[in-house]
Amino acid sequence: MKQKQPTIRDALYEAPGPKARKRIAVATVISILALAALVIAVIRRFAENGQLDARYWSIFTRYTTWRFLGYGLAGTMTAALTAGVITFFVGLLLMMGRISSFKVLRALCTVLIEFSRGVPTLLFIYFFLLVVPQFGIRLPALWKVAAPVAISACGVVAEVLRSGVNAVPKGQTEAALSLGMRRSSVFFKIVFPQALRFVVPALISELVIVLKDTTFAYIVNYSDLMQNARVLISNYDALLSVYLVTAVIYILINYILNKISVAVARRTR
Amino acid sequence: MNSSETNTAPPIIELSHVDKHFGQLHVLKDISLSVKKGEVVVIIGPSGSGKSTLCRTINRLETIDSGEIRIDGTALPEEGKKLAELRSQVGMVFQSFNLFAHKTILDNVTIAPIDVLGKSKKEARAEAMELLKRVGVDSQAAKVPAQLSGGQQQRVAIARALAMHPKAILFDEPTSALDPEMIGEVLDVMTALAKDGMTMVVVTHEMNFARRVADRIIFMDGGSILEENTPEEFFTHPKTKRAQDFLNSIQAH
Repeated sequence: MKQKQPTIRDALYEAPGPKARKRIAVATVISILALAALVIAVIRRFAENGQLDARYWSIFTRYTTWRFLGYGLAGTMTAALTAGVITFFVGLLLMMGRISSFKVLRALCTVLIEFSRGVPTLLFIYFFLLVVPQFGIRLPALWKVAAPVAISACGVVAEVLRSGVNAVPKGQTEAALSLGMRRSSVFFKIVFPQALRFVVPALISELVIVLKDTTFAYIVNYSDLMQNARVLISNYDALLSVYLVTAVIYILINYILNKISVAVARRTR
Repeated sequence: MNSSETNTAPPIIELSHVDKHFGQLHVLKDISLSVKKGEVVVIIGPSGSGKSTLCRTINRLETIDSGEIRIDGTALPEEGKKLAELRSQVGMVFQSFNLFAHKTILDNVTIAPIDVLGKSKKEARAEAMELLKRVGVDSQAAKVPAQLSGGQQQRVAIARALAMHPKAILFDEPTSALDPEMIGEVLDVMTALAKDGMTMVVVTHEMNFARRVADRIIFMDGGSILEENTPEEFFTHPKTKRAQDFLNSIQAH
């Protein structure tokens, strides 16, 4: 038999004995039955209300529907990647300021990080939608989403990166210094590459949050997946079917991201 | 060693009246020490005696409160480019190896010559392979540190220090984190280095090595240098009571 990779479960719980195995089996059967009953009840309600009628679902047999959702998906990806890249670099700068030896810079970055983490994304969106134009700055719709979403995530990214830097053993820095490497070299060639490996899973989790935050796009009229889904809904009056399909697409993207995160974490261990 | 040469040249390492506190604790008390070119100085003493701290002050991994440290005649700068330059001239081998975990064995040895000395990748690699061969781990060049045994890692650490052509190498308890069967292979490399004329300061608990290889033994306790003597004299006729007690305690078993 193939040796199983030890999981966190093995560390937390001891192997179940005969009584515990019986209890687990009974609890499993009950929960499966309960879940099945719930799903059947939901589907029946939908059927009674006519939500399963062909008119709501036939739109998904059309190429144009998928193309429209595809444009939306491309918009979501563009916004998420733009915001993600900005978040990473701004987060990196904030983190470096936060750990710098200049007191004023450190205090400033600490405040900025707390501000970014403490204020809801929606507030930043409204700031870019309502306040920024008052200064005569006309931003394209993409930036009205990407900028506030990035600002709201960069504080967390800064703290995640900082936890990674702190996790690199001090001996690595000492060894590099003892070889005559300068502080900047030590940071960028020795400490940061190792820190990044520690936090890749956490960074990808944050990217998932950024991606979900881009659904605020409807507020600023940027055509992302969510916005286009809303257009479909109002055109076809097909609320449930469109939302379900949209949710499945979001779940798939984020599932793929999480898979990538797990793969990266395993490869770099 | 040529005695007329050593009389005129400044010592490679010179500490005069060095004091250091960790908060309330006075860890180094008026330490003066001078290491000549090609000399092997072994520092021994009970744990907490300040010997590791002393070793680490020499390349300013620990700062000092007062006193002066000179490397080959130059006072140790407090920061910046000058400090980095002087550090590059003094190698250091740590108890926990501290190989760069994300780099291959070969890259561990080449990174500083490329980054600090500005050597070409090709030149650095060729020399690194020579050094790895010298310490007997050239067959592991493509692996990462975690794949090597402790003894192999420590030998790579020595090769990494040698790649900078240091004027001296500091060894901070280089065998204390090793399994017993690996201590010998590291001590062999160090003995060969000493024979080749490398200037070495070694903090260790390996008394046989100290006796065999050291030109001079420094005995420390409570932050002070209590004795300074040839190995023969120190091990057979320790002058202070504390050195006698220390030697008895380690030879009792």
